[in-house]
Amino acid sequence: MDIRELVLQQLRTVLDPELGINVVDLGLIYDLQISDGNIYILMTLTTPGCPLHDSIVGGVKRALEQIDGIRDVKVDVTWNPPWTPERMSEEALRQLGHF
Amino acid sequence: MIPTNTAYETNIRLPLLFIVFGAITFAASQAVTLTAGLAMINGAFRLPSVWTAAHLAILGFALMVAMGAMYQLVPVAFLTPIWSERLGFAQFFITAAGMTLFSASLAFHARAALFPGLLLVLGIVLFLLQMAMTLRKQANKNIMTLFVSTALVCLLLTILFGLTLVFHFWSGTQTMDHLLALKTHILFGVFGWFPLLIIGFSYKMVPMFALAHGFSMKPARYVYVTYVTGLAVTFVSFLQNSQATFAAGAGLLFIAFALFVYHISLMLRKRMKKRLDRPFQFALFAIAAALILHGAALVLSYVGDDRHIAIVVYSYLLGWIMLSIIGYLYKIVPFLWWTHRYSKKIGKENVPTLKQMMNENWTTVQCALFIVSAAGVTIALAISSLPLFYIAQGAMTLFSLLFAGTIISVLRK
Repeated sequence: MDIRELVLQQLRTVLDPELGINVVDLGLIYDLQISDGNIYILMTLTTPGCPLHDSIVGGVKRALEQIDGIRDVKVDVTWNPPWTPERMSEEALRQLGHF
Repeated sequence: MIPTNTAYETNIRLPLLFIVFGAITFAASQAVTLTAGLAMINGAFRLPSVWTAAHLAILGFALMVAMGAMYQLVPVAFLTPIWSERLGFAQFFITAAGMTLFSASLAFHARAALFPGLLLVLGIVLFLLQMAMTLRKQANKNIMTLFVSTALVCLLLTILFGLTLVFHFWSGTQTMDHLLALKTHILFGVFGWFPLLIIGFSYKMVPMFALAHGFSMKPARYVYVTYVTGLAVTFVSFLQNSQATFAAGAGLLFIAFALFVYHISLMLRKRMKKRLDRPFQFALFAIAAALILHGAALVLSYVGDDRHIAIVVYSYLLGWIMLSIIGYLYKIVPFLWWTHRYSKKIGKENVPTLKQMMNENWTTVQCALFIVSAAGVTIALAISSLPLFYIAQGAMTLFSLLFAGTIISVLRK
C-alpha cells in the first residue's frame, strides 16, 4: 500500500469522541507531508477552544507513530482558515444524520 | 496557515471534586425538602428547614457544580489556563466545609450561622479571585467574557447581601431593611449569577454540542444589555418599593430571555448534527421552561402576591437552573472521566466514544423523572396539596439519588 494511503488509513482510526467521526472524514487534516520516514501534519479542530484538543491532537500523533518505519511525527494545529462544515466528507454527513 | 499550538486543560480532579460533592449534596437537599412539606404548602418559605434545603440545593449543588464546571470550561472556552490549580483545590475544601457547616447551622441554630457563613464566603471570594485573575489574562475578550464576568459580579453581590442577612440574625440588629436585603440576595443569586453564567456558556456549548457553524453572535449583545438592564431595574424597584418598576424589570428580563431563545434557535437552525443528544435536548428544554417562567413572573408582577412569586422563583430554580445544570452535567462528567481514562490511549487502541460512557436511555428516564417531579412540586405548592407534594418531592428525592448514582457510576468506567 502507498505510504500516503497507509497514513490516511491510520488517521481514520482517530475519532472525535464527541461525534464518533474520524479526523479525515471530518476534514480536520489540512496538510500531510511525508519524507524520509518523517510525517508532518497540519490540522485544525471544529472549534477553537475544543475541550478535546489535546486528546485528538495527541491521538493523531500516537496513531501515526505506530506505522512501521516512521521515525518522527510532528503535528501542528491552526485556526486559520477556520474549519467549516463544507470540509466534511459524505460519510461524515451521513453519520450526522444528513442522508 | 500558521500553526498555533495552544491547548488549555485543567487537572480533571478539580472539576470532578466539585461535581461529585454537588451531586451528593443535591440528594441531601431533596431529602431535607421532603421534611419541609407542611410549611412550604402553607406558603412558609422562611423557616430553618427550608433555608437549609434551599442552601444545600443552591450552594451545595448548583454553586459547587457551577464552580467545578467553570474550572473545566473557562480554560477551553476562553483559551486561558486557570490562574492557580493549587488555589482551586484549597478553595474547594474551604467552600465545601463552609457550605456544610453553614447549612447545618441554618437548620439547628441560625444565630450561629455567621462563622461558618464567613468560611463559606472566604471560599467563594477565593473562587472570585481565581476567576478574576484567570479572565484578566484572556487575550481576546468576547461577549462570553462579559456574560461570565457580570455573573461573577452578581455572585459577589449575592454573598454580600447573604452575609448581611446572616449578620442580622447573629447580631439581632439590622444594618439595612431585612426584606430588601433578602429580595436583592435572591435577585442577584437566582436571576443574576446562574442565568448569566448559563447563558454565557450556552454560547459555547450549544454550537459545540450541535456542531453549529455560520451563525451571527450579534443578538448576544442585545440579550446582554436587556438582561442586565432588567436586573438593574428590578433592583431599583426593591429600593423604591414600586410595583410598576418591578413589572418593568420583569418585562425587560422576559424580553431579554425571549431574545436569547430566538438566538439559540438561530444557532440550532445552522447545526450540522441533526439528531441532538438527549441530555443536551433536556438542557434546551430548560431554556424553553425558563422563557415560560419569565412570562409567568411578568404576569404575576401585575397581579400576583408574594406567595405566587415565591412559587415561580422555586420553579425557575428547578425548571431552568437545575435542569440546565443536570442536562449539561450528563455531557460534562463523561467527558471529564473519558479524558482521564482514555485521552492518552486514543490513536493506540480502540476507545469508547463519549456517548458510550453513559446509558443515554437511562439519562432520558432520569431527566423525565426530574421534569415530572418538578412540575408536580410546583403544582402541589400552587394548589396547596400536601399529598401531591409528598408524591412529587418523593419522586424528586428518588431522582436525586439516581442522579448521584449515575454520576458516580461513570467514574467506574
